[in-house]
Amino acid sequence: MAVVETRAAASAAAAAAPMVALLGNPNCGKTALFNRLTGARQKVANYAGVTIERKEGSFTSPDGRAYRILDLPGAYSLSAHTPDEAITRDVVAGKRNGEAVPDVLVCVVNATNLRLNLRLVLEIQRLGLPMILALNMVDVARKRGIVIDEARLAQELGMPVVATVAVQAGGERALVQALDAMALTEKVTPKPLDAIDTVSVEDTQREVRRILALVCHEKDDRGNLSETIDHIVLHPVLGPIILAVLMFCVFQAVFSWATVPMDLIKDGVDAVGSMVKDAMPDGLLRSLLVEGILGGAGSVLVFLPQILILFFFILVLEDCGYLPRAAFLLDRLMGGVGLSGRAFIPLLSSFACAIPGIMAARTIQNPRDRLVTIMIAPLMTCSARLPVYALIIAAFIPEREVAGFVSLQGLVLFGLYVAGIVSAMLVAYFMKRSMGANHQQPLMLELPSYHWPHLQNLALGLWERCKIFITRVGTIILTLMVLLWFLSSFPGAPEGATHPPIYYSLAGILGRGLEYIFAPIGFNWQICIALVPGLAAREVAVGALGTVYALSQSGDALAQSLTPIIAGSWTLPTALSLLAWYVFAPQCMSTLSVVRRETNSLRYPLLMAGYMFALAYSASFLTYRVALMLTGG
Amino acid sequence: MTHAVPLITLDTLAVGAKATVVHIAPGNPQDDGATLARRLMELGFVPGEQIRMLKRGMPGGEPLAIKVGNATFALRRFEAALVSIQPE
Repeated sequence: MAVVETRAAASAAAAAAPMVALLGNPNCGKTALFNRLTGARQKVANYAGVTIERKEGSFTSPDGRAYRILDLPGAYSLSAHTPDEAITRDVVAGKRNGEAVPDVLVCVVNATNLRLNLRLVLEIQRLGLPMILALNMVDVARKRGIVIDEARLAQELGMPVVATVAVQAGGERALVQALDAMALTEKVTPKPLDAIDTVSVEDTQREVRRILALVCHEKDDRGNLSETIDHIVLHPVLGPIILAVLMFCVFQAVFSWATVPMDLIKDGVDAVGSMVKDAMPDGLLRSLLVEGILGGAGSVLVFLPQILILFFFILVLEDCGYLPRAAFLLDRLMGGVGLSGRAFIPLLSSFACAIPGIMAARTIQNPRDRLVTIMIAPLMTCSARLPVYALIIAAFIPEREVAGFVSLQGLVLFGLYVAGIVSAMLVAYFMKRSMGANHQQPLMLELPSYHWPHLQNLALGLWERCKIFITRVGTIILTLMVLLWFLSSFPGAPEGATHPPIYYSLAGILGRGLEYIFAPIGFNWQICIALVPGLAAREVAVGALGTVYALSQSGDALAQSLTPIIAGSWTLPTALSLLAWYVFAPQCMSTLSVVRRETNSLRYPLLMAGYMFALAYSASFLTYRVALMLTGG
Repeated sequence: MTHAVPLITLDTLAVGAKATVVHIAPGNPQDDGATLARRLMELGFVPGEQIRMLKRGMPGGEPLAIKVGNATFALRRFEAALVSIQPE
């Protein structure tokens, strides 16, 4: 009874727990602080009606008080130039439907850069909500010889000031104590947003200067470590070389590090497959389990290690502050084809998946620039293509070293990524030319100080990726595999059939029909079948090939995994042609539907599907014919 | 007080040179210039602030990496041209 009561009390307390909102400039360590406070107790969703990530978590203080905490998007000011900043503005002003006004705002500032960060604090203060200032990165500030008088700062600002070190265990303690010390009984209604503009930016900055003169003593930090690193990393000649070498190493690692975990997963799936085979009588259900589910979904699951390795590098580069430098180095290239420097970030996210990339294009203010960025986003090699590339490369590209140390397989993968980027730049160039737009786009990109990547953030980021991938395999991919198995198994083969049964099934009929279109680029009917479910998600094509070939084989061959089967049954020109096809790969329904939603018209998704199909077909045709000629076909 | 060195715009500042922000011009309305000027100020390019040119990209000396306060921002040349400065 007592247990039930405490539990009921606890859940009531959780519902009534005060809502703490974290806000601050980009690069102030806000998200690291959020991770430090909540650990894995986070819910990641979208804000209602828009596709901007909403991160909420919860924690309990040592005194037993429960809090809910919201990580608001980073903002330089509340005048909101981007949709992200608009969310932050609307939430703190209580103008966002479905979001209660936070009970307390925790303004996170980067202690090494109060000059920039304090202006936002002064702006937000005008809304009149209860506030705490979290002076984050005080450890770095101290190392740089920046001394901040916290008591005086609290006095000048009229709010509690606490020092935090988000990247250190216990670095959040002072903040939690300050929250406990606040009496958050009354709900405060924020003042209207106009209150912010009662003081001009210049006057606000004057006030910041006045406060800084009183509370902060700093040495001239000219020549600090970040500047020294930038001297090399942003060097006109060395910089691009370093960028290319880094990217190259990433793709090498994707292949060379993943072998062991991939073999483990493959052996595991195979072991389960033979266990099921031994335990069950031959029949439809066994066929569904072994050929449909294990053969299909299992062959996609194998690529988890490679995807995680790719994201490991992306997250490390992001966390240590290198990514904005890459944007700096590539800005001229982007500008050269008429793209905004800001397009770099959406395009980079498109390497994970075009969908968040297309949505991230909202940060581009100019509609035409935004449109071009959206149209080329799917040409960036998304992680769903990685399984397809990896499968074909493993089957057809010999595992040997070029020039003594470079893996040929990694080299080919790198080349495929480059091919995607180059074609995106060309498409952007032609689109810009045909639109006749000739105006300039702002860059205004912060180059934050370098710091060591933080393990907890890295682990949480990878865990999130892992969850997304497994969920996809477990839901959409699994469903399609079962459907495909069904289509591939019925109707059964007629009497005296000369081909395997799948040849006569619904899927086989469809595949043979499509073969008329795709035979000129070297695709056989098995590949054609796999292309169809690949419409739902590109990596499904691999699973589909798994199912199709599992059902096409008999006897001993059935036990083999997919790689040797396709290595034995496709010619090299066919394999290369499929690789070229997937550089463009127009078939991804979710991307097209997001484009439809984001552009609010049918014209652009259709245009996108059309131009990508044309490019894919021509590229595959060329590749196939040239390869045929070279191999003496 | 006399200005020993005439005002220049930020895009012409040499690498390594220091300056003080004097004025932010509203940009070309076609490029949404007023918003651009306001955002530049919000990033710290406010009259009276010290800035330093850290690095220029290749080719064509664009983009520019500029230190303002303790932050570093990358700007394209036309954005930097809105900022009038007094070199030291």
